[in-house]
Amino acid sequence: MPRCRIDGRDIDVPSGTTVLEAALDHGIHIQYFCWHPDLPVDGNCRTCMIEVEKMPKLQIACNTVITDGMVVRTDSDKARDAQRTALEFILINHPIDCPVCDQAGECYLQDNYMRYGLYDAKVELEEKVRKRKVVDLGPIMLDAERCVLCSRCIRFEAVVTGTNSFEFVNRGDHTEIATFENRPITHDYAGNLADVCPVGALLSHDFRFKMRVWFLKSHESVCPGCSTGCNVFVDERDGEVQRLRPRRNAEVNKSWLCDPGRALYKEIGVTGRLSGARVRGAGDGTTVGAALDLVAVKLKEAGAASAFLASPQGTNEDLHAFKTLAEAVGGKLDFRVGEPHLKVRERIDHVLQRADRNPNTQGCLDLGLDRDGVGAILDACRAGKVRVLVLQGPELLRVPEAVDAVAKAAFVVVMATHEGAELDRAHCVLPAALWAEVDGTFTNYQRRVQRVRAAVPAPGDARPRWELAAGTLERLGKPLGATSAREIFMLLSGVTPDYGGLDYRAIGAQGRALPLAGGTGARAQEARA
Amino acid sequence: MASSATVFIPPEVLAKAPARVLKEALGERVLAIDDFRGDLAITVEGRAWVEAARLLRDHPECDFRLFLDLCGVDYLDQGGRDARYEVVLHLYSVSTRHHVRLKTPVPEANPRLDTLTGVFKGADWFEREAWDLYGIEFVGHPNLVRLLTHDSFVGHPMRKDYPTAKRHVLKTPREMLLPVPAGSEHLLVNIGPSHPAMHGTFRVQALLDGESIVDAAAEIGYMHRNFEKMAEERTYWQIIPYTDRLNYCSSFMNGHGWALAVEKLLKIPAPPRAEAIRVILSELSRIMDHIVCVSTNVVDLGAITPFFVMFRAREAIYDLLDACCGARLTVSYVRIGGLGDDVPEDFEARCRHALAVVREVWDQAHALLTRNVIFLRRFKDVGVMSREDALSWGWVGPCLRGSGVAYDIRKDHPYSGYETYDFEVPVGTVGDCFDRYLVRMEEMRQSMRIVEQALAKLPGGPVITDDKRVALPPKSEVYSNIEALMNHFKLIYEGILPPPGEVYGYTEAANGELGFYVVSDGRKHPWRVKVRPPCYNIYQAFPHMIRGRLIADAVAIIGGLNVIAGELDR
Amino acid sequence: MAATVVSVDRNVKPGVGPILLGLWITLGNFMKSLFLRRASTIQFPEQKRNISGRYRGIHVLTEREDGTPKCVACFMCATVCPAECIYIESGERPEATIEKYPTRFEIDLLRCVYCGFCVDACPEEAIIMSRENDLVGTTRAELIIDRERLMARNKLVEHGPGYRPSDHDVRRPVRIAALERLKSEYGIVPGPPRA
Repeated sequence: MPRCRIDGRDIDVPSGTTVLEAALDHGIHIQYFCWHPDLPVDGNCRTCMIEVEKMPKLQIACNTVITDGMVVRTDSDKARDAQRTALEFILINHPIDCPVCDQAGECYLQDNYMRYGLYDAKVELEEKVRKRKVVDLGPIMLDAERCVLCSRCIRFEAVVTGTNSFEFVNRGDHTEIATFENRPITHDYAGNLADVCPVGALLSHDFRFKMRVWFLKSHESVCPGCSTGCNVFVDERDGEVQRLRPRRNAEVNKSWLCDPGRALYKEIGVTGRLSGARVRGAGDGTTVGAALDLVAVKLKEAGAASAFLASPQGTNEDLHAFKTLAEAVGGKLDFRVGEPHLKVRERIDHVLQRADRNPNTQGCLDLGLDRDGVGAILDACRAGKVRVLVLQGPELLRVPEAVDAVAKAAFVVVMATHEGAELDRAHCVLPAALWAEVDGTFTNYQRRVQRVRAAVPAPGDARPRWELAAGTLERLGKPLGATSAREIFMLLSGVTPDYGGLDYRAIGAQGRALPLAGGTGARAQEARA
Repeated sequence: MASSATVFIPPEVLAKAPARVLKEALGERVLAIDDFRGDLAITVEGRAWVEAARLLRDHPECDFRLFLDLCGVDYLDQGGRDARYEVVLHLYSVSTRHHVRLKTPVPEANPRLDTLTGVFKGADWFEREAWDLYGIEFVGHPNLVRLLTHDSFVGHPMRKDYPTAKRHVLKTPREMLLPVPAGSEHLLVNIGPSHPAMHGTFRVQALLDGESIVDAAAEIGYMHRNFEKMAEERTYWQIIPYTDRLNYCSSFMNGHGWALAVEKLLKIPAPPRAEAIRVILSELSRIMDHIVCVSTNVVDLGAITPFFVMFRAREAIYDLLDACCGARLTVSYVRIGGLGDDVPEDFEARCRHALAVVREVWDQAHALLTRNVIFLRRFKDVGVMSREDALSWGWVGPCLRGSGVAYDIRKDHPYSGYETYDFEVPVGTVGDCFDRYLVRMEEMRQSMRIVEQALAKLPGGPVITDDKRVALPPKSEVYSNIEALMNHFKLIYEGILPPPGEVYGYTEAANGELGFYVVSDGRKHPWRVKVRPPCYNIYQAFPHMIRGRLIADAVAIIGGLNVIAGELDR
Repeated sequence: MAATVVSVDRNVKPGVGPILLGLWITLGNFMKSLFLRRASTIQFPEQKRNISGRYRGIHVLTEREDGTPKCVACFMCATVCPAECIYIESGERPEATIEKYPTRFEIDLLRCVYCGFCVDACPEEAIIMSRENDLVGTTRAELIIDRERLMARNKLVEHGPGYRPSDHDVRRPVRIAALERLKSEYGIVPGPPRA
């Protein structure tokens, strides 16, 4: 492992590490624009200039590989001067757009000017080169004047999506970024272009002018859109989620997030949400407590003549509580409505998305919820053997082929997050909290256990699914033995193979990968892809 | 912000008397010694707390007899610390002219600490406040009940996990502040809070034997707005309007003190012109405050005329402030690093006019009062505060100087260029109301001297530092180039980012030492701001001063203490 | 330091003299107020106080030549306000050079502390303060002033503008020095950009 000294600190790094990577890993800040941890190095911005002992000219930190004994200074007068000058050069033609530019608050130019610039400007407004502004490219907006020509978008399109939408046009200080004929971006990863752009040249059309980012509070979580489980930040202000942003996880999603996943923030909130319990025939104003009383009574009567269908939308904690309830009552148990377990590893594009649109199918499998078979349960319903059908999510109610079976069950309970016509098929509706409103864990397709954290409060009476199950267990005289998601995880880690010894702290912010179950070397490798 | 136990401490710091004395006496129980920005701060174990305080007070080389401040700090979720809370004590030695800070960690699991009321009289209310706001229990405190919040308040509001927006509805006042012996024939009377003699809103409950006060207890907190909690959620710039509302009779001085404290933390000084203008406006504000104190004090005694006479001078100074910054009372004129804007062209003319009016009303007030027989009978030898007691309570300013202690920060630790002005510090001999009155009147004259000197040698130049990390760029720049626009944006939404550390900044406000203990964690909001309000210590002694005296004396005394509720309760 | 400390003089002799002097002073003040009209009080509302040109009164949203607001909804004022009394929602303007404007801009005049930081923070000179401080309303809602009423204040000339930026001088010393250096050292006189 080569050892180097950066700014007086001795640092050991794996061989092949560049100065910039080593510095950032150890908390030494160097400015950069064109470098990105998940894109190939380009070295065109020249802002990360550093002084390396024995090299007469300054080097760029992003492309200087560390050799043993290298001594680097990022803060010498020469280096600072070069960093300032490079920044000044980039800003020569930059328009005075800060008041109207959404990037303010997360703009590399603003942040780097305060750390490395702090010089007096010499260019007059009239002398700046004018370029195209407000070009609508569909999901993103292009403002060519603000572009610092770092080529991150070009590299992203080349390497990640393979669509090559962007290229530089014109020459000299008239160089602009453009798509062919201003054609819009049509792939599912346009949002990443706005993330990757360090300035306000490429901005999200959906987020345009919505909110200033410094008002937002970020919460770490995991996207529930599919079994990939990309790590996200939930950005909210005063309990209202304004957007989702990708959170870097080198093992899962790198720095990327798909557009359908980003759009999921719209389902959080109050509109269309189920915020109170409902019991058929009981009129308005049923409290959750009263509804759970009724459910407990029905379950006590039915005993083994009941069936439980878990939802792969639930967290592991939700699932464990639900399974405990099913076992306490003695009814049938499964989760595989729509056969998600067959799709959990199947990709639908070569970047991120997977066919299974549920975040926790793997968790259901790990906890052993694939027990009695959905078909068997539906047959039992049709035969009149199921008196109480408890659904952890409304998936079954949306399946046309199952409508007759559901109708035969004497008492149908469903936990749901949103209103929908299908809920009318249930006798009792319980309001559930969404992924962004609960603490918990999801297990993704590669058996990585990842934490979700509550970012906003649930609307009205909605509460976590585990809390609904725990409330029912309490009323049945068989309390769950846990009063928080954290405690439930401790319970389930004790009884689930491979989960032993895990707790929230061990899972941390980046998740914890479990060994791929029952896989040969080849399948395990394929699953990691 | 981790404890500095493993940081190298230079030998000249260790050689300072308090550090040396405590290290010798306590050995391993001294956990850390720090000297950030020249403030000596010593951290000791909780078990050694009282012993350390006593040593600092009694050891001849230390002689820290002036009790300044005691507060709690909550370091929830700040890494590198074993204990969640910290209790911080500030002391001053008049003889050696040094400040010192003594700190001790207090664990969350057992938030208790020994009381210092046996060592310093002034610790009483400060410990009650730390209990009220943080939940730190002081073992052995005679009366550990809530002070600033309502007594049915639930929770400890300054804790970091107490949500700022939480509301209580608390309507029932506390009826009895004093224990009344059974079968007593004494009369229990509330003086205040809605009483004209209680300038501001404070309440004193007095047990009366005829007109004599047998026992008294004070209740404060009617104007408690928890400035310190708000300060934890505002940037350093946004706190400036809040400081105006501390001592609102001389609001510029609060901003001046705050700006100096933050500038000390940043190590970025204001330019000379800004400092000179700050001195001028501070001295004029001091005159305004003393006018309020003196004239409202005698209104309570029945002499209404000096009030009408003296307040004309306040009008003139208000007009001056209006011309400078657009507001009369809550000026918000300072900025970190200087002032908001340069003074108008007719500044000097307006100043001279104001001084002329002040001189005129001063002469008239002096003629009306100082030799008036009724006034002398009401004031002379009433409310005597001895020198030792004053120091133990933590008295500062004109009240302390009235008791004979010549401590004036403008002379002992000059700031903003005070060392270049010629002025005298008036000091009393007996420590009664009359002395305090004379000291204030003389201070007004000395302030006029300072203003004239400052006007005469007012330097040119900018009124705010050119350090781009602190001062907003000029508007012409913001309108015309991207760099200044970005600078402007970053300063507005992110603000000033001082280095992590803590300082105690202190100035001679109208009532005495106004201190700001600022703890920074390097981010845009300060981690903790503690205001050391001068009239808090002064008013704390009031119930003790009036025991055995007549109500009429109590009224005469309270006015002369110049208790401003905004500063008292924060 | 000892030389700068003075003891106050407690030896004052009371007597009838000071009382008579006091009455004489008061009589003098009375005469001056009555005949010379030298009292500080003014007969409001017939007389108004002289308010300075920097007075921080009720806000005004300034307008462009075509009557639209100069404000581009950059949120600087809402961010810096210590009282959190400004509420803004932004929307799209068709002009590519302006892009943004406030669809909603409301100030809660009762929460406002009239500190003027919003004026300091505005990068477009879109919000200034007037010299008016007559804040009268019968309901709280009436005193939450919206964009229309803020724009309408442009026409109130009765008191005139108060606290606003005065620094419009665009001759920047750094720029001038740089141009002179370019000319003297390199013989370059930069001209307008090519189209």
